[in-house]
Amino acid sequence: MIRACSASLAYADQGRQVFACSEIDIDVRENEFLGILGPSGSGKSSLLYLLSGLKIPTSGQILYDGSDLSTLSDDARSRLRITQFGFVFQQPYLLGYLTALENVLVSTPNDQDPDSAIEILDRLGLGHKTHRHPHELSGGERQRVCVARALRGSPRVIFADEPTAALDHKNGLAVVQLLNRLRGAGSLVMVTHDPTMLEEADRIVKLADGKLDLA
Amino acid sequence: MKSLSDTEEKEAAKLRQRRSPSGSRMKKRILRPLAPTTYLLRNLSKTIPLTAVIVLAVTLVSGIIAMIDSIPYSIRTVYRYAKEDIGITPRGDPSLLPGLVKDIKDHSPVPIGRVIVCRATSSIVRSIVGKWPFIMLGLTQEDMRYYTARQHTTSVLGRYPTPGKPEALVSRPVAKNMGLKIGSVVLKPDDIDNYSPFPVKVVGIAETDRWFMMDPIEYQRENYFPPIDDAMIFAKDSAEQDRLDHWAVKRFKGQRPLVFAYFEIEKNTREMFATLYMILNVVIAALALVITFMMGMLMNIYQSQRLVEFGLLQAIGYTKKQLLRRVLMESVGVIFIGWVVGLAFTFGLLRLANVVLMEPKAYALDVFDRQAYAYTIPIPMAILIVAVATVFLRFRKFDPVGVVERRLV
Repeated sequence: MIRACSASLAYADQGRQVFACSEIDIDVRENEFLGILGPSGSGKSSLLYLLSGLKIPTSGQILYDGSDLSTLSDDARSRLRITQFGFVFQQPYLLGYLTALENVLVSTPNDQDPDSAIEILDRLGLGHKTHRHPHELSGGERQRVCVARALRGSPRVIFADEPTAALDHKNGLAVVQLLNRLRGAGSLVMVTHDPTMLEEADRIVKLADGKLDLA
Repeated sequence: MKSLSDTEEKEAAKLRQRRSPSGSRMKKRILRPLAPTTYLLRNLSKTIPLTAVIVLAVTLVSGIIAMIDSIPYSIRTVYRYAKEDIGITPRGDPSLLPGLVKDIKDHSPVPIGRVIVCRATSSIVRSIVGKWPFIMLGLTQEDMRYYTARQHTTSVLGRYPTPGKPEALVSRPVAKNMGLKIGSVVLKPDDIDNYSPFPVKVVGIAETDRWFMMDPIEYQRENYFPPIDDAMIFAKDSAEQDRLDHWAVKRFKGQRPLVFAYFEIEKNTREMFATLYMILNVVIAALALVITFMMGMLMNIYQSQRLVEFGLLQAIGYTKKQLLRRVLMESVGVIFIGWVVGLAFTFGLLRLANVVLMEPKAYALDVFDRQAYAYTIPIPMAILIVAVATVFLRFRKFDPVGVVERRLV
């Protein structure tokens, strides 16, 4: 479904080229939970951004159903993200002036029917807090709203970038389990530095210094 | 999977029960999350100051223009009585008048309704910018009745002056302006502005919006110098007066008689204020520029505070165009509301100023001054252009990853 072919992401740092990811070859398969494990600075977030079309590789290709993402326009990649992908980031970013329910609705601009969003929040244990604003929720609850936003619209792939980073271990694990159990037929690509968070992963790849650790 | 505590599960169950069967109550409470109105209504602490600045800017500009406009408007209002006739004076040679009148009667391009031989003495009325010259007409009682009727008088409070007596009839605006009532003295020996050798009392007030004062011609002939009669010539049809005025001014151009025509008052007023308006345009343009830059900076600050929002939305798949369109709609909303409220606020303020300050002294202020309101149009347009340009430049190189990675917050 998604294939990285010798994908590299380089950036300039004080005149020299630094590789966040280098020559990565990886597949994301249908309906799998793929864990990307690596220490801080290993390039795992960069790889996630490449796979999700948030970044374009400086060399190599990212293919989605055979189409090279770098050939798509910025708008086309945006449309791909909102229709096919779901995102959970390190920080539980929510729009402060919207309620939990409205934050969930944001991910599906063409479907504003609240019933299914309420159902997702219900399943995530937030059915009684649908009309709370983010400042009225705990960190774990905020991240669960982010999970609900990512799940809404049944995306084909959910990308989770260290979704447990801002949570304690127990809450973090609960969020990962919820993501995995509620993703339905979609794939889950999760980046983390904590191997215990990937207990339910179907496959784990390790990253070190921007390269796949094949050891 | 254990996702809820027991207490939370109970609360959720209660909520589900309350929501069912239709869930319509819940739906009603939900606004479209990314509709411009949602952001504006839920961020009133930002929306109100922005709107208030625009309201004040619009009020400032339209208020200044309306007040400046009130000066030429006052001139036109105070001297509008001249619209009903053409005045002619032989300029020091009383023997010329009969010939002048005959000339006009014989050659007028429009039928003449009446020729009034009159006297005039000077007086003073007050305006927003100080004292203005005015005239006390000396008329026969019969001419007084014709004149008041011609000046759209609906009724006369009191009576007409007795021939030869030091008595006067004034119109309602003059009475207001000079603080006169029936029995008040309008001209007196110790008043250099409104002089008369004998105290002239007001015996009648004409109900009309026109400004005029009149006393008996016999009294003026008896007591004022120089002993020269003037003439007022009225077209039979009021609508043709302007044509008669233009003809008379042209006919006596370069000759001894002096002709007073209303259109010349208007022309002179326009010329007199042309330079002032030119300066005013520069001042207003500078003011609009300052306000626009200030608003642009303010909007820029507010948009900067929303970088996380824009980054998040772009990261999850909103296009730059969609976000730009949204910001544009929000800006248009704030600016349009600010402008409309500003106009309404100005209108209210002008009405208040008119009722409290202007009207009691019969000072003229046009609360429906279209020019004053039209002057505000560049303000919302300029603010919108600056706001959109600012956001556009910001979005052009905006990288959402910087936000979600917490590099730009």
